[in-house]
Amino acid sequence: MWEQVDRILRQATSRIVDQVADFLPGVVVSLVLLLAAVLFAVVVRVLLVRVLRGLEFDRRAEQWGLAGLASWSASSSPALALARATSWVIFFMGVLVSLTALNATIPSRLAMSVFEYVPHLLAALMILIGGGIMARLLARSALIGAVNMRIQSARLISLGVKWLVLLVAIAMALDHLGIGRSILPLAFGIVFGGVVLAAALAVGLGARGVVSRALEEQLGESSRVDDKVDHV
Amino acid sequence: MASIGSNSSIQEAEVPVAHADIVVAIAAYNDVRTVGAVARAVRDGLATFFGSHEARILLADAGSTDGTLEAARGAVGDTGLIELQYQRPAAMSGVLYHGHPGRTEALRAIVQAADRLNAKACALVDASLHSATPAWIERLIAPVLADGFDYVSPYYVRHAHEGLITKGIVYPVFRALYGVRLRQPAAQEFGCSARLVSHYLEQNFWDRDQASVGVDLWLAVAAATGGFRLCEAALGIRQPPSRETPADLSTTLAQIVGALFMDLEDRVDVWQRSRGSLPIPVVGAGPEIGPDAASLNLERLIEAFRLGYRELREIWTWVLPPRTIVDLKKLSEAPLERFQFDDRLWAGIIYDFAFGYNLRVMPTDHLLRSLTPLYTGWMASFVLQVRNATSSQVEERVEQVCLAFEAQKRYLISRWRWPERLR
Repeated sequence: MWEQVDRILRQATSRIVDQVADFLPGVVVSLVLLLAAVLFAVVVRVLLVRVLRGLEFDRRAEQWGLAGLASWSASSSPALALARATSWVIFFMGVLVSLTALNATIPSRLAMSVFEYVPHLLAALMILIGGGIMARLLARSALIGAVNMRIQSARLISLGVKWLVLLVAIAMALDHLGIGRSILPLAFGIVFGGVVLAAALAVGLGARGVVSRALEEQLGESSRVDDKVDHV
Repeated sequence: MASIGSNSSIQEAEVPVAHADIVVAIAAYNDVRTVGAVARAVRDGLATFFGSHEARILLADAGSTDGTLEAARGAVGDTGLIELQYQRPAAMSGVLYHGHPGRTEALRAIVQAADRLNAKACALVDASLHSATPAWIERLIAPVLADGFDYVSPYYVRHAHEGLITKGIVYPVFRALYGVRLRQPAAQEFGCSARLVSHYLEQNFWDRDQASVGVDLWLAVAAATGGFRLCEAALGIRQPPSRETPADLSTTLAQIVGALFMDLEDRVDVWQRSRGSLPIPVVGAGPEIGPDAASLNLERLIEAFRLGYRELREIWTWVLPPRTIVDLKKLSEAPLERFQFDDRLWAGIIYDFAFGYNLRVMPTDHLLRSLTPLYTGWMASFVLQVRNATSSQVEERVEQVCLAFEAQKRYLISRWRWPERLR
């Protein structure tokens, strides 16, 4: 009997050792990948900071309306914020890759599903960045145009344009990510329709005089004299 | 009917003459109300003053649909008019301050035709200027034929509130940068010699993006910087053009100033070397006119400037230094009776915008349009100072503005050469 116990014990020990021997290279590879990811993230961060500073990214980001990047991090520099975000993305990718090296089912599935989601994330990010830039440009254009038309509430118009474009961009980005697919367009439609209706009611009931005066100035006989003067 | 073939080249078989001493071109677009009078003025001017010369009248029509061609033919007669056929724009490409689509193509066709005809002198008049008289033709052509001038620029007597973009920006900048006191460099009329015609054909600005709005100014710049003999011809009072244009102040300002700044970028090596400015001869004398009859609402102009300061100050900080913003703040708080735009401040602002345009700190259209409230403020200040002045007193005031631009030129050169130092 003791021989049988000893045999079973040996077999169990052998199996455990075999399994550990099978698993250990994966752990080593995983650790190596993680270390490589950390090193790569640090190198990319340092290089990116140098390149972006060389390109005067902070000043340009301010002009493009991306100064808000800095407010998401502790730094006051958009270049630093972007470099940090990039290094964290690389590190996160490294973690996912290292998990697949462990040859474990659940972590591998998690990693694969995250990787499948990455293109959607990137697309959503691009939509948000593009929308932010577009919102900024259109808001500035509306502000300058409204000021040149001498509309006192120029800032309000500009803000309206900015948030409208941003809301559209956010809705598109969320739709791309598959979040609230059925609710989001409905909610957006209700909010947007509500805004238009409210504006129409405001114009129709409360601001008739203002609108008629504005239209009169733009289209009527009492157009501004200084627009009619020969300036050239 | 004689015609100049497509691609602006003369088809020899169809042209009865291969040579003309004088060519006068009329640029037209839907000018049925005025083209007849302008064409008659050209015909009479040529007959009265240059009867012994071989002269031809060219018509560059941009595809009028209102009977302009027929009106011109009726005024001059079929045999006296050469209609230029050139590549016209398919459709109105945006709003143009002069309301003349395909103006670049028309001017190029005219210059090419003058070159092919070996014309000793060429003049251009716009069909919308109903104040044109036969004497204008004599004033634009005679200096070229008799006195050897290469470029004859019109000099009009205008009311204080007219031509303020020219008086406050184009002329002062042109004079300070290129050293020539040409008072109406963006005018749509001029006379030129055969030598200058050849020079024009060698220029590379014809196909540029902004050529449709900048070509008139660039032709003057090419003459001023090419070592040619320039003079001004006093043409008297210029009535505003009859051609309706939907361009508002902001669009007009952006187009004119954009063309000026674009040219400035191309000729850095020229204007950084020139110092001071020289007067040029004036042929004839214009009448003296009294104070303005029309009145601008100065209160509203100043209010527009104040609104601009409130809302666009943040955008202006991209190109204007802090001390300028402080000066503008003081100005925005000034009451009407003490509202005075300092000349040096104004010159500095225009140079800062030119520099900002060069750096492309933001889309150029945004930058140029954001200048409108500042221009409105300057316009209010200028009109406030000269509203009771005669035309010669207005000239003196413009002279002071120009001197400020000349004095501030060093500032522009410094910013251009060492942008970081003054940031």
